[in-house]
Amino acid sequence: MTDAYEVVWPRSPQSVELQDLAYRPDSLDGRTVAFLWDYMFRGDEIFPVIAEELKARFPTVEIINFDQFGTTHGDGEAELVTALPQLLRELGVDAVVSGMAC
Amino acid sequence: MLRASNAVEAAGIPSSSLTCEGFVNQATTTAAGLGRPNLPVALVPGHVDTQELSVLERNVREVTVPAVIANLTARPGDAKRPEEPGRHEIVASGSFQEINARFLAERWSDGLPIVPPTQAAVEAFLAHTIFDADKVLGVVLPDNREVTAWSIAVNGVMAGCRPEYMPILIALGRCMADPAYGVEHSGNTPGADTLITVNGPIAAELGFNCEQGVLRDGFQANTSVGRFWRLMLRNVAGFLPHETDKATFGNTWRVAIAENETVLKNIDWPPFAGAFGFERGDDVVSVSRYTGGGVVTSVYGQQAEHMVDYLADAIVSQTSWELVFTIGISRETYRPLLLLSPILAETIAASGWTKAQLQQALFDRARIPASRFEEYLGHWTNLVPGRRRLVDFVNLKKADARFAESEDPERMVPIVGQPDHLLIGVAGDPLRTNAYVFAHNGMLGFPVAHRVER
Repeated sequence: MTDAYEVVWPRSPQSVELQDLAYRPDSLDGRTVAFLWDYMFRGDEIFPVIAEELKARFPTVEIINFDQFGTTHGDGEAELVTALPQLLRELGVDAVVSGMAC
Repeated sequence: MLRASNAVEAAGIPSSSLTCEGFVNQATTTAAGLGRPNLPVALVPGHVDTQELSVLERNVREVTVPAVIANLTARPGDAKRPEEPGRHEIVASGSFQEINARFLAERWSDGLPIVPPTQAAVEAFLAHTIFDADKVLGVVLPDNREVTAWSIAVNGVMAGCRPEYMPILIALGRCMADPAYGVEHSGNTPGADTLITVNGPIAAELGFNCEQGVLRDGFQANTSVGRFWRLMLRNVAGFLPHETDKATFGNTWRVAIAENETVLKNIDWPPFAGAFGFERGDDVVSVSRYTGGGVVTSVYGQQAEHMVDYLADAIVSQTSWELVFTIGISRETYRPLLLLSPILAETIAASGWTKAQLQQALFDRARIPASRFEEYLGHWTNLVPGRRRLVDFVNLKKADARFAESEDPERMVPIVGQPDHLLIGVAGDPLRTNAYVFAHNGMLGFPVAHRVER
C-alpha cells in the first residue's frame, strides 16, 4: 500500500436539470384548488379545515376534494402521478394542495 | 406526496405540499432530487397523529393555511444547485486517514473506514464486468442519480468488496433501479433494511457463507456486499440520515446471505430465486426490504406436520401493522420470509412435502381473527383511515372475498393474499433446528431478482 491515495467521487450525476416552478396567481379568488391526498396522517380531518379557511379568505374559490383523484401513495401512486397533468387540465384546476408527509 | 406535487408543477400548476414538522428536511432534499429544490411546503406543526382534534385544527388554521396561501400565490425564490464533481473526477488525495476524514466530512461514508476508491482500484472492479464504465443501469430516487458500472465499482471498492464480486454488484444495481422494488421508499419511517440473497454456483465460488452464522458479519463476501448496498443507497440514491432517510430507529445494514444450494438439490426444492422464475443453477441476486424479524428457536418434530403450526405461529407473531400491505395501503404486496435451517428443510422434505406444499400449509395456518387484522389497519394505527372493516374492503373490491367469508369478527383470516406470498429460504446452521422470520415492508421494498451477468 502507498501512503498517498488519489480517490474518485463516489456519487454519480443527477439525471434531472433544475426545473422552474409554475406561475403563481395573485389571488385564489375565482380559481379552482384541488386537494391530493396519500390517504394517510389525518388528511381527512385536515383538508376540510383548509377548505373552510380558503373559502373564508377567497369567497369565489372552488375546491375539488381528494376523493376525486384516489391515493397518491401505495398501489395507486404511479398510475395517478402519470395521469395527473391531464386529469387536472380536464378539471380546470388552477392550484393543488398535496398531503400528507409525516 | 412530493412526487405528485412535482408532477403538478411540471404541468404548469402551482402546488403546496403539507409536511409535518419532522419531515421538512426530507421534503427539502427530496425536492432537490426531483429538480425543484424550491418546491414549496406548508408546515404542519408536530406530528398529527398525537394531536387532539382541537389542537390539530388550530395548528392548521394558524400555521398551515397561511403557508398554503403564500405557496400558491407568491413565487418562491429561484432554485440553485451546488456544483458537483465530474463522474470520474479525482476529489481528494492524501493518506488513508485523510481520505477517510474527507469522506466522513462529505457524508460519503457510513462511519466505518472505507477502502480509498482510487482509479486503479475502480478499474480492477470494472475488469470483472461486461459493461462499460459509463453504462447506465437505471436512475434512482430520491436524488435521481444514475446507477452506472462506474458508481457501482467505486462503492464496491469503498465497501471492502473484492473485484471479482463485480457481477454480483452489477446485478444488485439493477435490483436497486428496478421500479418494482421501489427504492424511493427506502427512507420511510419504519426503517426497514434490505436483505440480499445470492443463488447459484457463483455464491460458493465467491465464498459466500450459507451455513452457521449466515446473518452474522465476519465473512467478506456476505459482509462487504451488504455494506455495498447501504453505501449505494447513501451515495447514489441519496439516502442520508436526518434528511432523506427518515428511519425512526433503523439499524445497521444486513449482511447478504446465500442459500444452501447443496441441501436444496438434495431435497429437490427450488431455490429462493425460483419465486422469480429462475431455475436451480442460475446465478441470481434477490432483494427485499424487511422491517424486522426474529428467530424461531428449537422447532421440534419428526414430521412436517409436527412443525408447521409453530412455524406458522412465528410468521403471525412477526406480523402486525405490515398487514396494511395485504389490505389497505397496497393490495397483497406483503411477502414475509421464513428462513429454515437445512435440518428443518430436510425433515419437512423427508415427509414428502414440496416447498409449495409447505407454503400452502403455512397459508392455511398463519391466520388471525378478523377483528385483530382491523385493529392493525385502522384502530391502533391510522394508516388506513376510515375505520373500515375487512367486509367493507371486500365490498369495495379492494380485498379478496376470502377476507369476508362471514361477518363474524372472530373468523380467522389469512395474513397474505396467496400461499406463494410466504417466501421460504434455506440457510443457516445445517444441524440446528432453528428458523428465522422476516416481516416485510410491502411495496415499499417489494422483492425483485436479477440474473448475475458474467
